[in-house]
Amino acid sequence: MEQNKEMTAQESLQLISESFNKSRKDILRGSAKYFMLWGALLTVTSLAIYLLWHFTGKPQWNFLWFAMPAIGYPLAALMGKYDEALPQNEVSKMLTGVWRVFGAFAITLSAIAVFLVPMHVTLIIVIIMGLAECMSGVLLKNWPIIIGGFLLGVGGAVFAMLVKNDAQLLIFTLGGVLLLITGLVMKLQYK
Amino acid sequence: MFPKLDPLLHSELRLAVMSILAGVDEADFTYLKKQTGATAGNLSVQIDKLTAAGYITVEKGFKGKMPRTTCRMTPAGQEAFGKYVEALREYLSASK
Repeated sequence: MEQNKEMTAQESLQLISESFNKSRKDILRGSAKYFMLWGALLTVTSLAIYLLWHFTGKPQWNFLWFAMPAIGYPLAALMGKYDEALPQNEVSKMLTGVWRVFGAFAITLSAIAVFLVPMHVTLIIVIIMGLAECMSGVLLKNWPIIIGGFLLGVGGAVFAMLVKNDAQLLIFTLGGVLLLITGLVMKLQYK
Repeated sequence: MFPKLDPLLHSELRLAVMSILAGVDEADFTYLKKQTGATAGNLSVQIDKLTAAGYITVEKGFKGKMPRTTCRMTPAGQEAFGKYVEALREYLSASK
């Protein structure tokens, strides 16, 4: 790129538009790997707990849920540290905010349900997870993600009321796969 | 009468830097270098010009142990960039 090149008005506007869009694509593609990280972690954790609970009959395996943020947050921080220095734009900031709020709700409510006040935590978490996924779709202007989030929230809530015990965990496996797909969609959408 | 185009922004590399900074809170020097494809020396000179005009601010710091230079558009830069885009639109609509 040359600093002294004479540009026409058309070329200048095109340059502005291209630079802006390229940067936007890079930033959103950079966010995709975090969706994939949490999607993979959720899929593996929920499946592991489901299998352990199913074959041993011990619901205490649910304590393994607390391992997920314990592994996920340091891993995400590590990925950010060695990552290319990508800036944040309005969309990536809002995406981060939505999922941080979801994480805070999910961890706090799970801890309250386990240690203080018993509640149907699967029902609550699947609804807010569907909502967070829906909001991500709105921010990314992506209808499949919006619909996926809606189906996860509403379908998951119905499923959580209909099935009992270990089978409920399969909702989160589905949620994890949905997050993985969201990450892949973002990678492709902003290629 | 057409508005005069800001000569500081009417340069390919400086305009690219401003366009990138318009969409983000702040950006690393390395990121700007990669996005524009400019050499470090050339980019550094153009960033100095934008800084001198008060269009951007440059902050030097560290990310871990690595030195980091962060650029951010100032309100004056946002205003100048907005006026520049508006002037371009006027030129284009008049030429149609």
